[in-house]
Amino acid sequence: MNLLKLTERLGLVSYRNQSKSEIKPHIIVDTDICNSTCPHKCTTYVCPANCYTMDENGTVHFQVEDCIECGTCMYACDQGAVDWNYPDPEIGRGVTWNYG
Amino acid sequence: MEDEKFDCIIVGAGVAGLAAAMTLARNNMKFLLIEKGEFAGSKNVSGGVIWGNDLAKLVPNYWEEKDAGWERYITQRRLTFMDEQSSFSIDFKSSHFRETPYSGVVVLRSKFDRWLAGKVEEAIAESDFAMDSFIATNIKVDEVLMEDGKAVGIRTGEEEFHANSVIIAEGVNNLLTRQVGLQDDYVPADHMLTGIKEVIRYDQEKLEDRFQLSGLGGMSNEYIGYATDGVEGGGFLYTNRDTISIGLVLGLKDLREKGKSPHDILNHFKKHPAVEDTIRGGEVVEYSAHVVSSGDKRLMPKELYKDGVLICGEAANLLMNAGKAIQGMDYAMRSGILAAETIGKAKERDDFSSSTLKEYRQALDESFVMKDMNSFQDAVHMLHSPQMFKDVPNLICDFGRKFFTINNEPTPKSRKMMAESIKEHSSYWDLMKLGFKGAKSL
Repeated sequence: MNLLKLTERLGLVSYRNQSKSEIKPHIIVDTDICNSTCPHKCTTYVCPANCYTMDENGTVHFQVEDCIECGTCMYACDQGAVDWNYPDPEIGRGVTWNYG
Repeated sequence: MEDEKFDCIIVGAGVAGLAAAMTLARNNMKFLLIEKGEFAGSKNVSGGVIWGNDLAKLVPNYWEEKDAGWERYITQRRLTFMDEQSSFSIDFKSSHFRETPYSGVVVLRSKFDRWLAGKVEEAIAESDFAMDSFIATNIKVDEVLMEDGKAVGIRTGEEEFHANSVIIAEGVNNLLTRQVGLQDDYVPADHMLTGIKEVIRYDQEKLEDRFQLSGLGGMSNEYIGYATDGVEGGGFLYTNRDTISIGLVLGLKDLREKGKSPHDILNHFKKHPAVEDTIRGGEVVEYSAHVVSSGDKRLMPKELYKDGVLICGEAANLLMNAGKAIQGMDYAMRSGILAAETIGKAKERDDFSSSTLKEYRQALDESFVMKDMNSFQDAVHMLHSPQMFKDVPNLICDFGRKFFTINNEPTPKSRKMMAESIKEHSSYWDLMKLGFKGAKSL
């Protein structure tokens, strides 16, 4: 039975500009909103790529590197914390699907 | 290229954009199709089956091509109700499905869209604008340029490209549709779902034996009930050539409220005894996810046209699952074709204003796309109700367990079994209401 962990699943994804150390994030998250007024911090569990994490103090952090551009956070966040865009082909990250 | 004005710029080389491009090329129009990915399809994900036979309009006799971009054609359809232990399926297989044009083909978009883009390139080469129409990849459109309320082209970075019209086929995350004012800046999660999927590879012969497939015949299986762990939505499994696509679509608002993670629910689904037996062995080769709209019309953009602009496919939230099939790519294809035909009329009349472009909306309203979306709104609502994704599957499986279990005790009549199952999982009153709704909506 092939029950993969999320890290193993994300290991199968091909990302663009993977070798570049500096990339321009295509999603900007105002985590101050997540960590002050947000009642649910839902991005930390609905994001299929776990780009949003919560540390032991309950603080929300965001990283764009694993993002697969699905759009989930753009709709799920009803607090106005997520500024969503597509990655720049040259200086952004984002996916290239092998199967799709 | 910068100085030239196109008849049309299409944003997005998915199914809708490619269908529009093919139609424009055949009508001898000068156009630019812009895709942000490395190649057409590189950023596209679907379940996915293209239902219906519109593909034959774009690529006649596509079934004769040996290495065409599609995976398998549907010869068998199955709908499975699940509870924790059991699965109860309606299974339909028929040789009439082998007649061409097929009534459904399974696709993997990275391959299919790329193949279809190749066909569009061929059509461009045969058109009057062989040297002047292009498919341009690796370009992200930042803005639709508007002048006096009319679209006049697009901007990418510092560069501008000009055209008499813009077809927005950017997909469900429709930022440009919002920018031109046809969709609200923030679209709430209420009628949105997250699709999540794994592609699992097998030895082709093993896959064909397991699913009893012959030739390039394939199977589609939809799941309702336990699959989604109490969250609104359903599951799917489609057979490709030597892989399967298995996944879920999950209501986004419901995920948020129930505190659940899509990737956990996917493993929950894969562990169900019936699914576990079906997918055993094999190697997971890709994990993907994408937002998908639900088919609820309240979600759609305010309008699908304005001066110089048309909206197609998932950018217009043209997608529906009313219980029969998850239809979206066929809607994308037809809307792309109709949009491009409208651009053809606009060029003839030299009028790209909404007084001509509104004919796209009229044509779409008269086509199966909006006719079905209008007819089946109640079915969409019913399918997304807890009764349908919880009570009914539980009831059906419970009845199945009673009916199919022989235990050398006096057997109650089936009616009694059914009555017990209904009492346990629902009520006659609720079922009657659901039955009335169902009879009306389907």
